[in-house]
Amino acid sequence: MGMSDVLARAAVRRAHVLVVEVPGWWGTRVAVEQAMVARGWRPALSPADADVLLVCGRPGERLAAAVDRVWDQVPGPRTRGSVRDPAHADAALGAAAADLLDSGRQQDDAAGRSEAGGPDHGDMDHGDMDHGDMDHGDMDHGDMDHGDMDHGDMEMAPGGIPLAGGDEDRDGLEMDVLRVPLGPVLPLWPAGLVLRCTLAGDVVTGAEAEVLAASNAPAVHQDPSATSAARRCDEAATVIALAGWDDAATAARHVRDGLLAGGDTSGAARSLLRLRARVARSRTLRWSVRGLGVLGDTGVTTDADDGPAGRTGRDVLDRLLGMLDGALADVGAPAPHDRRARPDAMSTAEALAALPSLIAGLDLAAVRLVVASLALDTARVEPTREATGA
Amino acid sequence: MREGLVATAPAGWVVLGAALLGGAVVLGAVLDGVLTARSVGGGTRGGALAPAHEVARLLRQRRRTTVSADLLLWRIGGGGLLVLALLKVVVVPLGSWTLADLSAGIVWFNAMDVTVWALVWLAGWGPNAALSLVGAYRFLAQGLAYELPLMFALTAPAVAAGSLRVADVEAAQQGLWFVLWMPVAFVVYCIAVLGFAVWGPLAPAAGPDLAGGVLGETSGIDRLLLLTGRYALLAAGAAFAVPLFLGGGAGPLLPAWAWVLVKTLVLLGAFVVVKRRLPTLRPDRFVEVGWLVLLPAVLVQVLVVAVVAVGRG
Repeated sequence: MGMSDVLARAAVRRAHVLVVEVPGWWGTRVAVEQAMVARGWRPALSPADADVLLVCGRPGERLAAAVDRVWDQVPGPRTRGSVRDPAHADAALGAAAADLLDSGRQQDDAAGRSEAGGPDHGDMDHGDMDHGDMDHGDMDHGDMDHGDMDHGDMEMAPGGIPLAGGDEDRDGLEMDVLRVPLGPVLPLWPAGLVLRCTLAGDVVTGAEAEVLAASNAPAVHQDPSATSAARRCDEAATVIALAGWDDAATAARHVRDGLLAGGDTSGAARSLLRLRARVARSRTLRWSVRGLGVLGDTGVTTDADDGPAGRTGRDVLDRLLGMLDGALADVGAPAPHDRRARPDAMSTAEALAALPSLIAGLDLAAVRLVVASLALDTARVEPTREATGA
Repeated sequence: MREGLVATAPAGWVVLGAALLGGAVVLGAVLDGVLTARSVGGGTRGGALAPAHEVARLLRQRRRTTVSADLLLWRIGGGGLLVLALLKVVVVPLGSWTLADLSAGIVWFNAMDVTVWALVWLAGWGPNAALSLVGAYRFLAQGLAYELPLMFALTAPAVAAGSLRVADVEAAQQGLWFVLWMPVAFVVYCIAVLGFAVWGPLAPAAGPDLAGGVLGETSGIDRLLLLTGRYALLAAGAAFAVPLFLGGGAGPLLPAWAWVLVKTLVLLGAFVVVKRRLPTLRPDRFVEVGWLVLLPAVLVQVLVVAVVAVGRG
């Protein structure tokens, strides 16, 4: 066994997986995450960080094209796979591990890539919706349709990347603006969602939301209550993870996994109560997310973080606690504070429609928290549904 | 005023300094691996080996570039953090030895720390990617919040000792460690260490909400250098706190050099523990804290220290 084999074996014990959830395959994604924990594998935050690209579900044409673009950016040694059933999650990871260890195959892959000259970065196909992936490097993926851009002039687009256009920011100052898509391949993000953002610095000044659907999604049915509670725990874990609080996010995922494993719900209820108390108690979290993404009673937005509405309205923290309360209700435990509305008081379609105006003027960190706090169930959106605004 | 007596070690001993820093980095990474494994699940042994596996993975992974990347500046930003951490520890006395007995050692440390701004920003600028660059600017925004309080936190021990030489500051703590009568300066210093090491609650520049931010486009050896550089800065920050606030080599039984190492590792361990336990402080809100809380608090601290120093003098 040579040195490179030793290296490969050690490396594969710590593979990083970029998990792509197709709308409707929530359960499969969770099963993959559980299998990853069992192997000591880690989730990848970006294509550059990934060894394995794993698609959970059957993506539609445009989502599949976006996944292909992301695949081009995975550095290698790399492997990709697809899981369509929670029961096959561990087998898929096993196959990925074998593939990563197969040096011959990895060398062939690398050789094939250098011949092909890598991904086609030079093209200027603006408006191509397939490009709404998370390739932050390539600005040609966002559609640059500003009037002041000369698309034919390569000087204006070095390397095929159009230069930033100018526009007024939220304070009325002339700023460079970029069109940057968030999603659909983005960890801690609703499945299949693409948010085409106009960025002035790190502030989103406008956005269009769209869901890239599955090719044929499994029928959407009412979850049994334990699954519904698990889903809410997963939503809460996503918000907490985006707030950068690893320990609490892990605790939420443990409760989720316990609920999905079935059995005694009273233990899960106790863990949930502990978690809820911990989240409600955290001053740092409260201070960091208070007043973000406030939704009024009518769904009309108020500005973040100032005015009494910002403090008393339904902000990210309220919705996070609402998720945990909802989970408690699902497992039959009374929520400590019933005044919190359940997060599904608004339908996914309504939330998608409200999203652009809700996030306009927020910075990216806040946008991510607000989107996660809405807990969009993109499997329940009509495939052709398109929400625009701002 | 006591003069700190340290001998400058010959240049070759820099290797030992680098090895000690490397050892601290490994211990820090192992502790983080164990804590993560205990929280996520996966066994303590797997957690302790996680850094080794991660290094193997990154050594095997291919480097990657992006379209129109600013390769030179990107690589400078990536490799520079480790160099800066080394340059920081050369002024830390280890027992009666030091690698560089600078008359303005504290200023040297501060200068290295400000250079971190440039390097982290370059690491985010290099890949020519929107989210990386946002991460880079987040670091600058955060720097605006922690850097000025840090400068005053470094000033307090210097005022008390009447010298900018690290060995003098260490010697001035015979009997009473500075951490005991300037706790505010110590706390602010520790917050700033988390800041310049892009660590834990002060790591929004590399946050999950930016898909890794300044780390997001790196792979292979480039990523390894950045991650190691972060740990090294954290360890260097812990090491510098020892002569500044924690009495240097003072302590019973063990020789002075051993106490320096023990104190460094304990503080480093505390930094690692904090990482998973606190949510990220978003830069736009942390700036408020930096200017409205930390800065006034540390200024009052310096005032108190100055009055005491004048009274004693």
